[in-house]
Amino acid sequence: MSATPTISFDPARCDGCGDCMSACVSAKSTVEYIAQSRIRIVRDDEAGCWGVAQCRQCGDPRCASVCPAAALAKGDDGIVAWDAERCVNCLLCTAGCIYGGIAFSPAEGHVVKCDQCAGAPQCVSACTRGALRYVNAAKLYNRWGELEDLFVPGLGGCQGCNTELIMRHTLRRVGPNTVLATPPGCIPGMGSVGYNGMLGCKVPVFHPLLTNTASMLTGIRRQYRRKGRKVTALALAGDGGAGDVGFQSLSGAAERGEQILFVCVDNEGYMNTGAQRSGSTTYGAWTATTPVGDTGRGKTQDAKNLPLLMMWHGCEYVATASTAFMEDFYAKLEAALDASERGFAYLHLYSPCTSGWRFPSASNIEVARKAVETNFALLWEYRRDRGLRLSRDIDDPAPVTEYLELLGKFRHLDAAQTAHIQRHVAAQAQVLRDLAGMHQDDGLSHCCSSIVPQAVRHETGG
Amino acid sequence: MNDVVEKTALLADPAGERIVPGTDTAVAKKAPRILVCDGNEAAAWGVVLSRPDMVAVYPITPQSSLAEYVAQFVADGVLDAELVEAEGEHSVLSVLHGAALAGARTYTASCGQGLAFMFEPYFRTPNLRLPIVMSIVNRDGITPQCVWGGQQDAMTVREVGWVQLFCETVQEVLDTIVMAYRIAEDRSVMLPVNVNHDGNYLSNGIVRIELPDQTEVDDFLGTPDVNWHAALDPDRPMGVDPLTGGATGPGPALFVGYRRGHCEGMQNALRVIVEVHEEWARRFGRRYAPLVEEYRLDGADHALVTIGSMAGAAKDAVDAARDRGERVGLIRIKTLRPFPLDALVAALDKVRAVGVVDRAVSYGWNSGPVHQETLAALQHCGHRIPCLSLIGGLAGADLTQTHFERAIAETAKLLDAPCPREPVWLNAEDR
Repeated sequence: MSATPTISFDPARCDGCGDCMSACVSAKSTVEYIAQSRIRIVRDDEAGCWGVAQCRQCGDPRCASVCPAAALAKGDDGIVAWDAERCVNCLLCTAGCIYGGIAFSPAEGHVVKCDQCAGAPQCVSACTRGALRYVNAAKLYNRWGELEDLFVPGLGGCQGCNTELIMRHTLRRVGPNTVLATPPGCIPGMGSVGYNGMLGCKVPVFHPLLTNTASMLTGIRRQYRRKGRKVTALALAGDGGAGDVGFQSLSGAAERGEQILFVCVDNEGYMNTGAQRSGSTTYGAWTATTPVGDTGRGKTQDAKNLPLLMMWHGCEYVATASTAFMEDFYAKLEAALDASERGFAYLHLYSPCTSGWRFPSASNIEVARKAVETNFALLWEYRRDRGLRLSRDIDDPAPVTEYLELLGKFRHLDAAQTAHIQRHVAAQAQVLRDLAGMHQDDGLSHCCSSIVPQAVRHETGG
Repeated sequence: MNDVVEKTALLADPAGERIVPGTDTAVAKKAPRILVCDGNEAAAWGVVLSRPDMVAVYPITPQSSLAEYVAQFVADGVLDAELVEAEGEHSVLSVLHGAALAGARTYTASCGQGLAFMFEPYFRTPNLRLPIVMSIVNRDGITPQCVWGGQQDAMTVREVGWVQLFCETVQEVLDTIVMAYRIAEDRSVMLPVNVNHDGNYLSNGIVRIELPDQTEVDDFLGTPDVNWHAALDPDRPMGVDPLTGGATGPGPALFVGYRRGHCEGMQNALRVIVEVHEEWARRFGRRYAPLVEEYRLDGADHALVTIGSMAGAAKDAVDAARDRGERVGLIRIKTLRPFPLDALVAALDKVRAVGVVDRAVSYGWNSGPVHQETLAALQHCGHRIPCLSLIGGLAGADLTQTHFERAIAETAKLLDAPCPREPVWLNAEDR
């Protein structure tokens, strides 16, 4: 996936020296006056650090949307460009931007804003402390941002919840010609189906039972296929509804090759009902039903590997993904959506739970990233015709303790428990290496796909 | 049975030509087609005639051959339906939930443990107001292990909110399945219907039946419109079954609205069941008592109350007793849910004592379920009459004419002596 560059700012490294502003003035202004800088370092007394006011090159720029003259537009290069020919100097953009990214320059006689110096931003070059960096941002966020968010604003998820992020991004991409099943759990619990006559979603949406999501979608999808209508049957389910009490219906639908896109949002337990243990809960983890006490030390069994179990069904497509690696997630969502036109597609999202796992709500993405970097969460994809491939290198993981120590649910772990988890992580990684290796090895180029049973391939509906 | 032409899964007409329902054939307006088959095959023909969009199946004795017949009909092209061979009864009914919400006319069949396993979606079906038709090939419940007939399955779920119809004969099984779609899909009803036929007796008993004409059935049933009230359709986006309730706000009243609407649908069904049976008699020439059948009640001073296929042997016993000069009759319940209160009270008002024969047990009352229902109805009678519980036919046990002669004798005792609290276990002495 291609990317566009952007200027990032790290307040922890900024000492407020102002060299960046001087560099900007030198490069861009016709007058040597510091207030002409298009980047401004300002003191944030409340936070006790320096902040930056500069154009963020937004995906959905407010300056452009309020401009009555179409003088501002987001370009393919990622830059929000200002067009002198069109500008009528109304200054609405300066009110529209909440970042102080565009301002009127008396010296120039019109608004000015950062244009990243044609790929060589002088402010970044001038910053000796590394507070400013010129980095790549994914272009896809801009592209996907243009799709309609099909959930209503204001879902009642917990602060910092990644599940809401997954839901919104998934449904944006899958689109309105969809029937969405959300079995009981966090996903409908935050109001996505609705409450007392009000709706939470703009597509047909329903509560299946916790146990029968894939079966109800089977009936829906088959009836529309019978009628010659192409309707996506989408599930957004938790790990309990997918892998524990709902596993029979999930397994049956996968075995029959039903044309369903099943997304499992794995937060390793029954987090909506108060953080009880599920089959996906990690060994050693505190939950409400595996409490820590004089004799209890958390869960005493390893989690089952639900996505691998799904792979052995011979699904059309199976993959794991993480909210810390959104480009990877988007690529897999595309593939899964496409595969669901031919058969069963299963997408497993690792979704840390701020409430049930006991960590600060601001660090969810960081936790998700650390899970992947320690091999605790392994990212891979399986296609029936190509077998299993790893999505990233897993040969040099960080120690799993870097992940465990972020989470309150592991606070009580002793050395033996930690060692057990590290061994389990290593063993799981080796299983994946072996499965992926079967594919890569010349003599066994399709071994993995050939040992996985071939699901019945249904005719693609009209 | 001399007019039987051929015993086959597929029907042959008198000229020996294979006839496929659903196709226009020259014999459409001929005399009724004759078929010799058991109740499971008759049920499958009822399904063929009703043209469901989707059928989901999972095998269980004694329902299995019904599922097999339907699957074969689909494989042969006799029935144009999506067939889902689900991995269990729980999913069977769940598949049909989804299909119905997407607009499909649907069918399945189960019994006994299968019904127990599907209870979670079963419980929800009438609350979603989905007009699904489902045969229960009645089977007793384990434990002790048994795979034989009995009505413990259907009786155990009688408060769930399905319409429950009980058939006496194989012909009635076929006819009632077709009628069930008219009842279920009636806009004033919109409820699922169980068509009960006794395992073993009806599922495996082979008799001669008449097969209605497909075009006439099409005309009788009309075009299905099953999700006008609740749909999962991108062309009509809506949330189906959002959360309601809570102690404050509109939730409690919303919830009451759903419950009361469900009860009204059940009460409407009493009327619709009668109308549909009447129309069936007019169109197809076969008349069944829609709610409660009164058999030889004229001048009777006592009667048996029966349900399901046992009525055949019971009627023979009543006939024999009448021949001996005993003033006995029979009441057969066809519709158990909604409860046919007025029709049953009208029948009970004609006698001075009744014995209720159950093929199931109500453990808490030390009695039979239909006995309890009858006691409740008696509260609405003009006079108090004794009502004895008799339990028989459990786990496939025979209920013969001899058993019913005893039942009649035990009931007759009530005319002169107090009614025993203990039920009469009709098969307790069988060897």
